[in-house]
Amino acid sequence: MNIIKFTAGAALAAAISLPVHAHHSFAAEFDANKPVTLVGSVTKVEWQNPHIWVYLDVKDDQGHVQPWQCEGGAPNTLTRNGWSRDSLKYGEQVTIDGALAKDGSKTCNMRVVKLPDGRTVFAGSSGGDAPPKK
Amino acid sequence: MSLPAAVAGQDRYKPPAGPTPRLPSGKVDFSGVWQKPYVPDLTKDGTDHKGVAELPFTPWGEADWKKYDAAEGDYTGACLPFGMTRSVNTPEPMQIVQSDKYFTFLFEQNSWFHVVPIDGRPHRKGEPTWFGDSVGHWEGDTLVIDTVNFNGRTRLDTVGHPHSDQLHLVQRFSRPDLGHITHEMIIEDPKTFTRPLKSTRTFTLRNDWEMMEYSCEENNKSLWEGRIKIPKRP
Repeated sequence: MNIIKFTAGAALAAAISLPVHAHHSFAAEFDANKPVTLVGSVTKVEWQNPHIWVYLDVKDDQGHVQPWQCEGGAPNTLTRNGWSRDSLKYGEQVTIDGALAKDGSKTCNMRVVKLPDGRTVFAGSSGGDAPPKK
Repeated sequence: MSLPAAVAGQDRYKPPAGPTPRLPSGKVDFSGVWQKPYVPDLTKDGTDHKGVAELPFTPWGEADWKKYDAAEGDYTGACLPFGMTRSVNTPEPMQIVQSDKYFTFLFEQNSWFHVVPIDGRPHRKGEPTWFGDSVGHWEGDTLVIDTVNFNGRTRLDTVGHPHSDQLHLVQRFSRPDLGHITHEMIIEDPKTFTRPLKSTRTFTLRNDWEMMEYSCEENNKSLWEGRIKIPKRP
C-alpha cells in the first residue's frame, strides 16, 4: 500500500553526485527535522528553474489519494547529472525521500528518488546548508 | 532512461593537463568554464575548500548572526542578487572571460555577470551595489581583485553568516596549470569581524561543460505560494 511514512531521517547514503543546492537557504522553506518518505505515482514534472517540481498522487493511511509536490534541484545541475525532463514519466511509481515544508502543506524537498526499476538517484535541491546550531 | 546510478559522480573528474595558459601579452589567462566547490557554510572544510574555522565576530556581528533566521526572508529566495561571495559559493559553474583590460565573471547561478577592470584604474565612486565595485591588479602571476562599495544586503553564505556595508573583499587568483585555479578569498569587515577571514578553494577546468541559462524567476513557486517570505526592505 502506498502510505506516507515518516522515517528517522536516515538518508540513502549512496546517493552522491554533483552537488545541487537550492537558490535559497534550505531553512527558508523546509524543516530538516521533518524527514518524509512518499510513495506515489507521478502526475506532472515541471522542468524549470530555479527548481524542478515533481507532482505525485500519494495514498494516505486511509487509502485516500492526496496530491503532493516536491522540489528538486536546478534543472541545469540535474542535466549534468544525467537527468532530463523525461526522466520521470506520468504514472510512474516512485519513492521520494526528503523533508517537509515548514508551512504544513503537502510539499517536500526531495533528496533522492527511487525509480520503478529499483535504482536510486540523487534529486536534491539542498545539501549541507541546514541551519547550524548557534 | 539515461540517469546515472546513485553512486555516479564519485569518481573524481580529471581536467585536461598542460601548462598555465597566457594571453599574447604574457599575462596569465584564467578563461574557461570552471567547476567550483559548493560552500554553503564558510566555516566548514569540504572538497576543494578550506574553510574559516572560527569567525571572530564583533559584538555587532555576533548579534546579527544570532538573530538571523532564514525563514524570515532569505533574500535569495526572492531571486535577489546573491552578491559576490554567495555567487562564488554556488556549485553551478562560472565562466571567466578575460582580456588585458577586463576580467569577467559569468555566473551560471541566476545568469549573473560581474565585470572587473584590470587595467590599473581606481575604484568608481558610485552607489553601493549587491556585487560591489571591483578592480584588479597583478602581483606577479597572481591576479588580485579588490571589491568594495557593497550595499550590505547580502550574506556571506547560504547558512547566512553576516557582513556589513563595510565589507572589503580581496580575491587572489592563480592558475598553477591548465586545469586548475587556486582562489583565495579574504573577507575584511571591521563592523562584523575583528580580523580578516580567509577561504581557499580550487576550481577545476570543465572543457566538457557549456554554460546554461538559469532564470530564477521562471518558476519560483515557493515564493509565489508563500512558503518563502519576501525579505524586508532596508
